[in-house]
Amino acid sequence: MIELHRVSKVYSVGPVKVPALREVSFRINKGEFVVLTGPSGAGKTTLLRLLYRDDLPSEGDVEVLGANLVGLGRSQVAALRRSIGVVFQDSKLLPVRTVYENVAFVLRVLGTPRREITARAFDALRAVGLSARAQAYPAQLSQGEAQRAALARAIVRRPPLLLADEPTGNLDEAMAAEIVAVLKDIGAGGTTIVLATHQARLAATLRRRTLTLGGGRVMKDEG
Amino acid sequence: MLGFLVGEAFRDLRRAGRVAVSAVVLITLSLGALGGFWLVSSNIGRAVAKWHDQVRIVVYLKREPSACDAAALLERVRAMPGVAGVVFIGKADALRSLKQVLGKDAGVVDQLPANPLPASLEVTPSATAATPDGARDLLTRLAVLPETDEVAGGGDWVERLAHWQRLLATIGLGVGAVLAVAAILTVTTATTLILHARRHETEIMRLVGASELTIRLPVLLQGMLQGLAGAVLALGALVITHSVVA
Ligand SMILES: Nc1ncnc2c1ncn2[C@@H]1O[C@H](COP(=O)(O)OP(=O)(O)OP(=O)(O)O)[C@@H](O)[C@H]1O
Ligand SMILES: [Mg+2]
Repeated sequence: MIELHRVSKVYSVGPVKVPALREVSFRINKGEFVVLTGPSGAGKTTLLRLLYRDDLPSEGDVEVLGANLVGLGRSQVAALRRSIGVVFQDSKLLPVRTVYENVAFVLRVLGTPRREITARAFDALRAVGLSARAQAYPAQLSQGEAQRAALARAIVRRPPLLLADEPTGNLDEAMAAEIVAVLKDIGAGGTTIVLATHQARLAATLRRRTLTLGGGRVMKDEG
Repeated sequence: MLGFLVGEAFRDLRRAGRVAVSAVVLITLSLGALGGFWLVSSNIGRAVAKWHDQVRIVVYLKREPSACDAAALLERVRAMPGVAGVVFIGKADALRSLKQVLGKDAGVVDQLPANPLPASLEVTPSATAATPDGARDLLTRLAVLPETDEVAGGGDWVERLAHWQRLLATIGLGVGAVLAVAAILTVTTATTLILHARRHETEIMRLVGASELTIRLPVLLQGMLQGLAGAVLALGALVITHSVVA
């Protein structure tokens, strides 16, 4: 499903080179639920961005869903992304659209037949327990609700691969547990999941395979 | 899908608000100016063409030629380029038509000691002489005939009208061009504004794997909608003006 081979990523900020990932190699099989953890700045977001081809590695090979992401054309990138659901660390909810519209937007953009859109969007909202807030705007949501809306948008197309970047960031434990429960449900349905979190305690309570990043390297791969 | 694209385009136009309205107004004005001046100028052109049939150039002769000289002169004039027809009007003919014009006051003419009217040729220019340049050439050619005393008529008003037509067309083109540039700048501004307002949508569309066409069409469509609205308004304004004037 996912295979990284000696992947390095160096950001260039003007003349300054910021190494974010160094020689990262691992493999994730179909249906696995993997927790990606490590302190802030360890390279979790960078790694996820390489997986949905938002950025390219400086060195090494990234293979996702059977495609080598280095050298993909624009339409191939689009095709890859249609198979990946992403919860962004900054949620990226459209501020001028309601929760329902945000979720339905993905379906409409990808040409889902009109009559299916409402039902599928509400299915996703129900899955994250947010159907009651469908008509609210992102600014009217609590942080937990916003994270769940972002999760609903990521799963609305039932992608085989779900990447969640800090979906529980800034949430209290009860809220975080709720979101984790939703993710586990989705994982139980056969979806491959990579969950990035800097909350070491959350990672520990999940009892799933955990990849620990530190300074851009894989420090531990256990569970 | 089409509904979605058009919906997004309208949503963007609403977001651009006053700038989009200004863009539409400027498109209307520039198209209206171009169209309006073009209409006026082409109407004048048609008038010139229509009136041209009735244009007669009158060549006043120095003296009444003999019948045989007159025939030779007619022959020579008819052979000139730009001449469709020519009629000889002798002194006596001229006096007769003057009497006709005067009607019951015709008696005055009989008091005259001698016929004061000159003999003349009435020349009808052909289509090739319908242009101002062609008319001028013909007039010069007629003026240099040894028999000619004076050439009158026709030419100058056609030329004046044609001159107006050119002036109006130029003004229309100039005003239209200036407004068109303003319209283009405003459409560009509106589109830039829309691209900025749309950046979150565009980003999400890219990240979920939408096709480039889906990403770009709404922006293209809103531009086309601005153009369409401007064109329809300009056309409506022209039709209304036309029906009010006519
Ligand atoms: N676009 C960028 N340009 C330059 N440097 C970047 C960029 N994105 C990340 N970095 C740097 O790369 C390193 C890894 O960042 P990254 O966002 O991947 O960390 P993270 O593990 O997701 O952290 P957090 O837990 O705070 O989200 C950091 O040192 C960061 O400053
Ligand atoms: Mg991060």
